[in-house]
Amino acid sequence: MLVSFAESIVDSALTYWIQSTYWLWPILEITHFIGLTLLLGGLIVIDLRMAGFFRAIDPVTTHKILPAVILGFVLNLITGILFFYGDPMRYSINIGFQIKMLLVLIAGVNAAVYHLKVDPILQNMDRSLASPVIAKLVAYTSLGTWTGVLLLGRLIPYLGTG
Amino acid sequence: MFLELENTAIALWVGTSLWAYPFLLSIHIVGLAIVVGIFSMRDLRLLGVFNALPISTFSYLKNFAIAGFALNAFSGVLLFTSQASVFVTNVPFLTKITAILIGMVLAFIIQSKLTSEIDTKTKLLALVSLACWISAIVAGRLIAYIF
Repeated sequence: MLVSFAESIVDSALTYWIQSTYWLWPILEITHFIGLTLLLGGLIVIDLRMAGFFRAIDPVTTHKILPAVILGFVLNLITGILFFYGDPMRYSINIGFQIKMLLVLIAGVNAAVYHLKVDPILQNMDRSLASPVIAKLVAYTSLGTWTGVLLLGRLIPYLGTG
Repeated sequence: MFLELENTAIALWVGTSLWAYPFLLSIHIVGLAIVVGIFSMRDLRLLGVFNALPISTFSYLKNFAIAGFALNAFSGVLLFTSQASVFVTNVPFLTKITAILIGMVLAFIIQSKLTSEIDTKTKLLALVSLACWISAIVAGRLIAYIF
């Protein structure tokens, strides 16, 4: 699926533009790094509290940092799509990229569980109590999957075909 | 001196082992996300973004930020040894190190101000700190492009 999509876009005008625009690639990389900093930085605050650290802080107030997380994700989605268009045949067959995308999907499902299940529980409970098991599970899944995304993303240039 | 460093056993291992360099780079990006992630959230909060979040949150996060920094000091020194004589004259590298040093000094100053009222001076420190960490990321990435 990924490879057939890559084959369909490899001759696109966007691919040509990305490859031929001077300094575009490093600018995209820098933006991708700033995006990951916003994404992970915000999630560290939210997830560590949800996992049960610094319980003096109301977990619901840490959720105010979510716009930074979402901004980071959007920045990285846009720059990520441009990376893929810029070199589709390299990314689509790369095992590091494939597992990275799988982990992003798992993180997405986990975020949905947070939104639909965990957030309502946290809103309605005595917040000085210990975190419920589902909150801890979602928090550690989030930190784990995103750490995996970072590791695999950095390894893409060193890994082979899937 | 830097050529000698490059020829130490550890530097040669980093430079020639198939997995050492990628492994250290991977560690380095996780540490980056932790230390720059926490400090940039702290600076944004001090500058008035997401005001509903208590500033004391970042007092609790101090040890996590230090752990991220330690991870990157460790991986960074090892990465440095493999090409020490190249890095030591590389402008983006020197810019990055300068930005990190200023950012860390500011981190300790800002840390001592987290418990008191946030005044204009603290906001200014947060702004400079944020600029330092963005510069460190930009310069760090440019090491691969500017020789």
